[in-house]
Amino acid sequence: MKLPFRGFNAILYKEFLVVLRDPLTLFFMFFPPLIEMIAFGYALDNDVKHMAMVVLNEDRTVESRQLIDRFVNTQTFRVVGEVQSVDEMAAAIRQGKAYIGLQIPPNFTRDLHAGRNAQVQVLIDGSSSTIASSALNTALGVSFRESVFRLLGETGRRELPVEVRPQILFNPAMRSPNFFVPGVIGVVLQIATTFATAMSLVRERERGTLEQLLVSPLSRWGLMLGKLVPYLCIGMVMASGLIAIMNWLFHVPIAGSLSALFAGIVVYIFCLLSLGLLVSTRAQNQIQALQMSMVFIMPSVFFSGFIFPRETMPWIFYAIGSLLPTTYFIELARAVILRGASLADFWQHLVILAGMGLALFALCALRFRKKIG
Amino acid sequence: MIACENLTKKFGHFTAVDHVSFTVSKGSIFGFLGPNGSGKSTVIRMLCGLLEPSQGRATIAGHDVARETERIKSLIGYMSQKFSLYDELTVHENLMFYGRLYGLSGAGLLQRRDELVALAHLEPYLHRRAALLSGGWRQRLAMACALVHKPSVLFLDEPTAGIDPVARRELWDLLFEFSSMGMTLFVTTHYMDEAERCSHVGYIHMSKLVVCGEPDDLKQLPVVNPPESKRLDVTCDHVTVGLQAIRQLPGVRTATVFGQSMHLLVDESVSEQSIRERLAGVGIHQADIRPIAPSLEDVFVALTNRNDGDGR
Ligand SMILES: Nc1ncnc2c1ncn2[C@@H]1O[C@H](COP(=O)(O)OP(=O)(O)O)[C@@H](O)[C@H]1O
Ligand SMILES: [Mg+2]
Repeated sequence: MKLPFRGFNAILYKEFLVVLRDPLTLFFMFFPPLIEMIAFGYALDNDVKHMAMVVLNEDRTVESRQLIDRFVNTQTFRVVGEVQSVDEMAAAIRQGKAYIGLQIPPNFTRDLHAGRNAQVQVLIDGSSSTIASSALNTALGVSFRESVFRLLGETGRRELPVEVRPQILFNPAMRSPNFFVPGVIGVVLQIATTFATAMSLVRERERGTLEQLLVSPLSRWGLMLGKLVPYLCIGMVMASGLIAIMNWLFHVPIAGSLSALFAGIVVYIFCLLSLGLLVSTRAQNQIQALQMSMVFIMPSVFFSGFIFPRETMPWIFYAIGSLLPTTYFIELARAVILRGASLADFWQHLVILAGMGLALFALCALRFRKKIG
Repeated sequence: MIACENLTKKFGHFTAVDHVSFTVSKGSIFGFLGPNGSGKSTVIRMLCGLLEPSQGRATIAGHDVARETERIKSLIGYMSQKFSLYDELTVHENLMFYGRLYGLSGAGLLQRRDELVALAHLEPYLHRRAALLSGGWRQRLAMACALVHKPSVLFLDEPTAGIDPVARRELWDLLFEFSSMGMTLFVTTHYMDEAERCSHVGYIHMSKLVVCGEPDDLKQLPVVNPPESKRLDVTCDHVTVGLQAIRQLPGVRTATVFGQSMHLLVDESVSEQSIRERLAGVGIHQADIRPIAPSLEDVFVALTNRNDGDGR
């Protein structure tokens, strides 16, 4: 009678000791994800706030100063200096000292009071499209409000004829960290865990210890599970750390249940580790293992909806995204963290991830040949 | 105990092991010799079920190594050519790991660990990391790990490569101890003196098994002792000078230096007197000449030369 997981406890014992004994490997498992998390989290924060603005006020009246205050009060702009000519304003933008230039011509107040079309000019640095569009929207909004309230005053009406009252659910401040950080956790976990397991079996192959394992009665399921469980534990510790950082450093609250989130994480990491093991059953050396892992990691960064919304992708990229565990994890994580979803709402994602994980795990146990060469 | 029949391994177009057949009886120490790259490790790997033979078959205790791989695992112990233990683990932990791997647990595991520690005299280093052990101790540990499940056949691939002479001798003492307990040992080596200690030897050259048998029988082979010839040991000063002179002597077939002496294979007709005269000619007046039996090295040299001759 052959036990299906024969030797599992031995591999588990050894693997825990080896991993914990090697501070360098542990360091390289934990340190890059932390840095990546912090770097990604800040770099992807494209909330546009307090953009540098230079002002050319040729009018110098109470009204013109009020207008400048209106711009500043949106929180989108801050005044970094006054300039004396249009050339000077253009130069400030060209040199990168300011993104925005606001020019109020000398006859602004006069035109306003005379009921003529009072014009101001806004120069916008278009080299960054996010910043430019945000600046443009805000500037148009300021002028529109200003015009509407003046018209209201003239007609004697108190209220707007039509008013849309938008209410933004789940991330009311529309902060981009709330959108990105759950995705960052998904990607960062993938990088760390896939590499870790992809390396572990390959290292045994290179060191010659694999031969020793193969002449023992160890079963391949026992080997695979014994390799997987310690990294699952390490992955969970890492995930907890990342979630703590998300909460405290990026101030992203967790709206849904923590247990739902962790259920998703366990299944997701199981999936990633199986993927890593699959790589390590094929790769002959560590370089190959690295390259093969990259093949899986790169699409996860681009096609999982981590940065670019999947709905707007060409169908082929959308389809690739549908095959990646990261896609399902990010959707689940965003739902739980931002929208307060429960497992009942997202059990399909959990089932898909679990299915992928089990399939990958079975595949690597079945593809692993208990021979060398 | 071990039987191979036309065992062959091809890597692509290259034949690493070419129709090798031999048997090893229970309790013997089989020394498997051959230069680097001749296919020794490949044979061992096939016998352990790690490599699929391309042709031919091999059995251990009657079980086919390719088809009943799982069955033979409990019978064999294998110590590979690379030092293949876990450097991060201590001696104790390595033993515990291999014990568990072979299904031991609890008191049985601890008892087996104690037995192995005593057998390989590992007490002083029990809690030292394997990475910090010297070559000889590492090999003892590797051997102890390979013995954890009390195998009846132990394969050792170059166990003495790169370790000091004292450790080498101690390792061989251990091997004899195992052999006396009824274990069958299959050892590859480069060292001729180790081969002389084996109960049986096989010599593999360019993927082909050249010869196989008991050392004493091999030394009686006709190729090793050509008709109308004799082997002499000549001990004298300035051996290298003497060697040049002796090689000129008619009737001398081969002459090789062995430390302070030279070994000659000469025609029956060559007299001691003629050798002394030749040596005196180059200023060597003191020489001790005596007949000797062929060594295993002589056997392998003679057989390799003959086979190369056949090949051409
Ligand atoms: N997995 C392999 N793939 C290709 N060639 C191999 C492989 N293993 C061994 N060889 C070749 O087979 C030959 C015999 O190797 P090996 O059995 O290791 O020799 P030995 O142990 O006698 O030094 C060598 O030339 C080696 O390069
Ligand atoms: Mg070898």
